Amino acid sequence: MDGHEVNPCIDIQDLFKTFVKGRKEVRALANFSLAVPDAQFVCLLGPSGCGKTTVLRILAGLETKSGGMVKVKGREVSRAGSDRGMVFQEFALFPWRTVRKNIEFGLEIRNMPETERRKLSSKYIDLVGLGGFEDAHPKELSGGMKQRVGIARALANEPAVLLMDEPFGSLDAQTRNLMQKELLRIWSATRKTILFVTHSVDEAVFLADRIVVMTARPGKVREDIAVDLPRPRDRTSSDFISVRGRVLAELDEEFEKARAKELSPD
Amino acid sequence: MTNDPLKALNKKLKDNWTQYLLAVISIAVFIAAWHLYAAYLHENDSGYQGYIPYPLDVAEALVDSFRYEDPNLGLTMFDHIAASLERILLGFVIAIVIAVPLGLLMGTFRKADAVGRPIVELIRPIPPLAWIPIFIVVLGMLWGPVAIVALGIFFPVLLNVMFGVRSVEPTLMDAAKTLGANRSQMFLKVVLPFTTPYLMTGVKVGLGIGWMCIVAAEMVGNYGGGVGYFIKDTADVGAFEYMYAGMIVIGLLGILTTGVAGLIEGRLSRWMGMK
Repeated sequence: MDGHEVNPCIDIQDLFKTFVKGRKEVRALANFSLAVPDAQFVCLLGPSGCGKTTVLRILAGLETKSGGMVKVKGREVSRAGSDRGMVFQEFALFPWRTVRKNIEFGLEIRNMPETERRKLSSKYIDLVGLGGFEDAHPKELSGGMKQRVGIARALANEPAVLLMDEPFGSLDAQTRNLMQKELLRIWSATRKTILFVTHSVDEAVFLADRIVVMTARPGKVREDIAVDLPRPRDRTSSDFISVRGRVLAELDEEFEKARAKELSPD
Repeated sequence: MTNDPLKALNKKLKDNWTQYLLAVISIAVFIAAWHLYAAYLHENDSGYQGYIPYPLDVAEALVDSFRYEDPNLGLTMFDHIAASLERILLGFVIAIVIAVPLGLLMGTFRKADAVGRPIVELIRPIPPLAWIPIFIVVLGMLWGPVAIVALGIFFPVLLNVMFGVRSVEPTLMDAAKTLGANRSQMFLKVVLPFTTPYLMTGVKVGLGIGWMCIVAAEMVGNYGGGVGYFIKDTADVGAFEYMYAGMIVIGLLGILTTGVAGLIEGRLSRWMGMK
């Protein structure tokens, strides 16, 4: 499982992304390459502004690339589609829809008949532990519950990959820990390929099969670290702490570089 | 959210009670002051007493206006209210039918905005009442006031709908896209529901303006009835207690319609889970 199989689920080669901000061009990504096999849980880690969210958004089809190749399940990504589910930090739930109706959104889009829709939404409501909240509106839910809806909504479309953009970033520490465990449970039940953006080293080491540390802008892969710790992982074990230390050291160097770059004009 | 819903409800009821009590007291004080002032004018035979009738006389005139036909047009207050309501309703429907699609269009497409905005900004500062002379002459006593009311309701609805469309959170659009929605599905399933509460706010504001427009528009007419016509007509013959009665009717109708619109607005956004 080192990401170099014949047919990776996510296949990114030499991805470039340049933003135009006024008259200035900002190079967000340069030569970013990553291959993720089926059912792998990969965390993207890097200093803020390194373009990790951009990678996710390009994969989701919400952003266009400036160059390179991006394939999911062997198909070139050109626009957003239901084969790639996305979970947002801000939850992005439709406030006027109930929990069930939020989860059924993608199914409605596909004109799935109602009985079938209900069956599927019920399945994912159960999976993420939202039983009893089917008819609640998002504003009635806590942050953790909202993100359960976000995850169920993405999964209901039965996508090949789950793209998660700091999904637990706005949750308190307790809820965050709980949701990490919940996500691992959901992942082992669905065996989705997950690309998970975070800036928490702890979160990445707890969750991932593999941590990809990105360089400061323009972002590319700095280090690809396999996390071979058995699950459930113990945050206080010496193995956990040593992996955490290694990732942190990599990241710190990039933080320093990013800072130095900020201080000197390019 | 409170832990004890019963306690919260009790507190709310208590708060409401004090509020109602204060409202009743403030209105009672106002009527008493009015009465005293009228009495003062009558006692001193100031020459102005005709303009300020006793509140009780106005109340009597109010009741009578519903019971008897006026000598001029042979209409009761019911007929006048019906005439005014008809104009408001027609104006409202016309305004909605034009303003909502236009607002959606201008809110969605930059080009539509670029084309529509200059005209909107050109006409918007003109008070709807400034159109009275031309509209009455050209369109007559039904469609003239209707057009003026429509104009008054049009702009708040248009601007609120536009604002609603612009306020749609980009992450909601992103979410819809990643869930497989195409452009028309995003419009129908994200933009439209998101904009609905904004539309209702526009309707509420617009109806308030509509009532102001209708009175003035009806005042210039000499046939067709309407509460505005009633106010003008009774003032012309010096029946000021009737004039005040007409003013009270307009006030109450205004409160009623904006109240109902506000209620619908609140219910809707709560039902939609957006409040």
